[in-house]
Amino acid sequence: MSAPFLTLLLPPLLAAAGALVLPPRWRGSWALHAALALVSLLAALRLASLVLDGWTPTWGPTDLFRVDALSALLAACVAFVAALAALLGPRLGGEQHYTPPQVRRFRVFAALFAFTMLVAVTANNVGVMWIAIEATTIASAVIVPLTVSKASVEASWKYILIGSVGIALAFVGTVLAYFDFVTLVGQRDYALNWTVLLANAPVLHQPVIELAFVFLLIGYGTKAGIAPMHTWLPDAHSEAPAALSAMMSGVLLAVALYAIVRWRAVVAAAVGPAFPSRLLVGLGLLSLGIAALSLVIQRQYKRLLAYSSIEHTGLMCVGLALGPLGVFATMLHLINHTLAKSMMFFLSGRILDRYGTPEIGRVSGLLRVMPLTAGLFATGMITLLGLPPFGMFLSKFTLLRAGFAGGQGWLMAAVLGFLAVAFVSLLGHLHRMLYGAAPAGVRQGESDCWAVLPLAVCVVALVVLGLIVPAPVTALLDRIVEIAGR
Amino acid sequence: MSPQLVSQLSVGGSTLVLLAGLMMLWRRGVNAHIGAFTAQSVALAATTAMVGWFTGDWQLWAVAVLLLLVKAVGIPILLKRMARRFGTERELEPYVNTATSLLLGGLLVLLAYVVTGPLVSVSQLPTRTGMPLAMGLVFVSLLVIISRKKALTQVLGFLMLENGIALLAVLGTHGIPIIVEIGVFLDVALGFMVMQVFVYQIHETFESIDVEQLNRLRE
Repeated sequence: MSAPFLTLLLPPLLAAAGALVLPPRWRGSWALHAALALVSLLAALRLASLVLDGWTPTWGPTDLFRVDALSALLAACVAFVAALAALLGPRLGGEQHYTPPQVRRFRVFAALFAFTMLVAVTANNVGVMWIAIEATTIASAVIVPLTVSKASVEASWKYILIGSVGIALAFVGTVLAYFDFVTLVGQRDYALNWTVLLANAPVLHQPVIELAFVFLLIGYGTKAGIAPMHTWLPDAHSEAPAALSAMMSGVLLAVALYAIVRWRAVVAAAVGPAFPSRLLVGLGLLSLGIAALSLVIQRQYKRLLAYSSIEHTGLMCVGLALGPLGVFATMLHLINHTLAKSMMFFLSGRILDRYGTPEIGRVSGLLRVMPLTAGLFATGMITLLGLPPFGMFLSKFTLLRAGFAGGQGWLMAAVLGFLAVAFVSLLGHLHRMLYGAAPAGVRQGESDCWAVLPLAVCVVALVVLGLIVPAPVTALLDRIVEIAGR
Repeated sequence: MSPQLVSQLSVGGSTLVLLAGLMMLWRRGVNAHIGAFTAQSVALAATTAMVGWFTGDWQLWAVAVLLLLVKAVGIPILLKRMARRFGTERELEPYVNTATSLLLGGLLVLLAYVVTGPLVSVSQLPTRTGMPLAMGLVFVSLLVIISRKKALTQVLGFLMLENGIALLAVLGTHGIPIIVEIGVFLDVALGFMVMQVFVYQIHETFESIDVEQLNRLRE
């Protein structure tokens, strides 16, 4: 079963190598880059269809790589956003011109970034998963300061330091879990395989595995943007080039959350779901609260989107603690967030190009200046608010229903309160940007319309997911619930 | 080697590794910090080799050699080059003064003993006695990263954190699978290289590596 794995993982490596040697200005190098990303996306979809047919493809010595429904979903999300970034980034059809060396640097590291995320979600060995997630920090941090300024240097330093330290703590957790396994069973090469850990979970020692989970949650939670470890996130997301922000917010947070979901399943099998649920609800509520209040006082639209990511991560943490239906809703929400948030960050790059300012207060009349961009931006924002007919309405609604059905009325009331605060402030900010007179000196009229066309795919997918969840998606989510929904 | 001797050597090696970490709290000079890190890496490699000898596992010998080459020779050379560039910039008064830092360091080591209590009680390995000290180093390294103001000192704190985890792994499990070990080495080396580039970049942009200036990004 090596073919689907190779067609998934090799293209990004080839793309990085190609970008390194080919001239960045040449259209052919862009076309090759985009084509390879599409091959990877097709491979991810092929893996998902294999999983739906009842297969669980594995590859490598001691089943190093393994794709079940959860892996297939994440791989498809990562490959999708990576393909968008390859098609659009870093220029995004805007006016801002990066120099050829900057374009080359972006393409090389964006492809490596995609590669590390794909390895992270397809690795069966949790040690390899950790290595890959640590490598995501390195690959992405290099291109945060694509244009060197005081702000971007500061953001990249905070990102790599907090990210590396956080992820090191996740390694402490991994070592502790492995320690417990070795103590009981002895040294085995496959002992770090998630399947083996899960099968042996019932005999693991309770205090050790609980301690391990605390480290793992803090560690991977740092990368997922869970409060109070989220402090790097708004800086990095706002200073990075738009295509990188889209990849970080759209899928990197989801990949880190994926690691938490994997470990939660092991811990729930070892000590029952109550312990991980308490921690997830606590940190999830804190993230929701901090994000909701920060949204109110934001003055920059990219930071606004970054805090909205923290809000949604918090919501998904709470959802993971709400039983099978909650896990179903969380995973549906993850798909919606990937689609909506990556689109929003791509669009924010276009707005930044045209207005030349990150301040919300100095962006006005967007509907007149860039009608197409404004329309998509408003659509994305309405999705994030959770209004029908878009997918997020359905996933938020299902999540809340899971909470109320599980007798968590007070918790859901608190969640609803925070969501309401976020709703009002996001709507206010959107209104300010869309209407009014355009500032003097800002050119009117959309340019390079073709560049935003790929983003229409996101809108179509969001509408489809909002009207009726397609049968293959439901089947995939049902399988994920079987894997991780205990 | 008898298990008692291994147990004593584990405690001895871990104590040296932890002491090198605590030195970061009371010394101010960059060169003293780099020296402490180098000595710590040597002690870590020696402890790893000792466990390898005890278990007869060749992989641990390989890891010990790798540790010496990367963390006791390679990274210190690069660190010294940075120190020559920024050496005149001494560590400023940290957020927490020396006496308080040492007191906090001691409390963190005590906390490590409490936290690792369940670990030591479930394990039968003779090397388990060093695990609380390894966890202590993890906590002390976090204190260094949080409380110091120089980017270079923070990098050293991060490297020591990695050493603490490596020690925890070798004492508690007698080595993680070699493929993971190599991947972790690669990550640490690459991560350090990128951090190094960033420190130079901070110096160029801000004309100092004092991270207190990194406060432009606010709400």
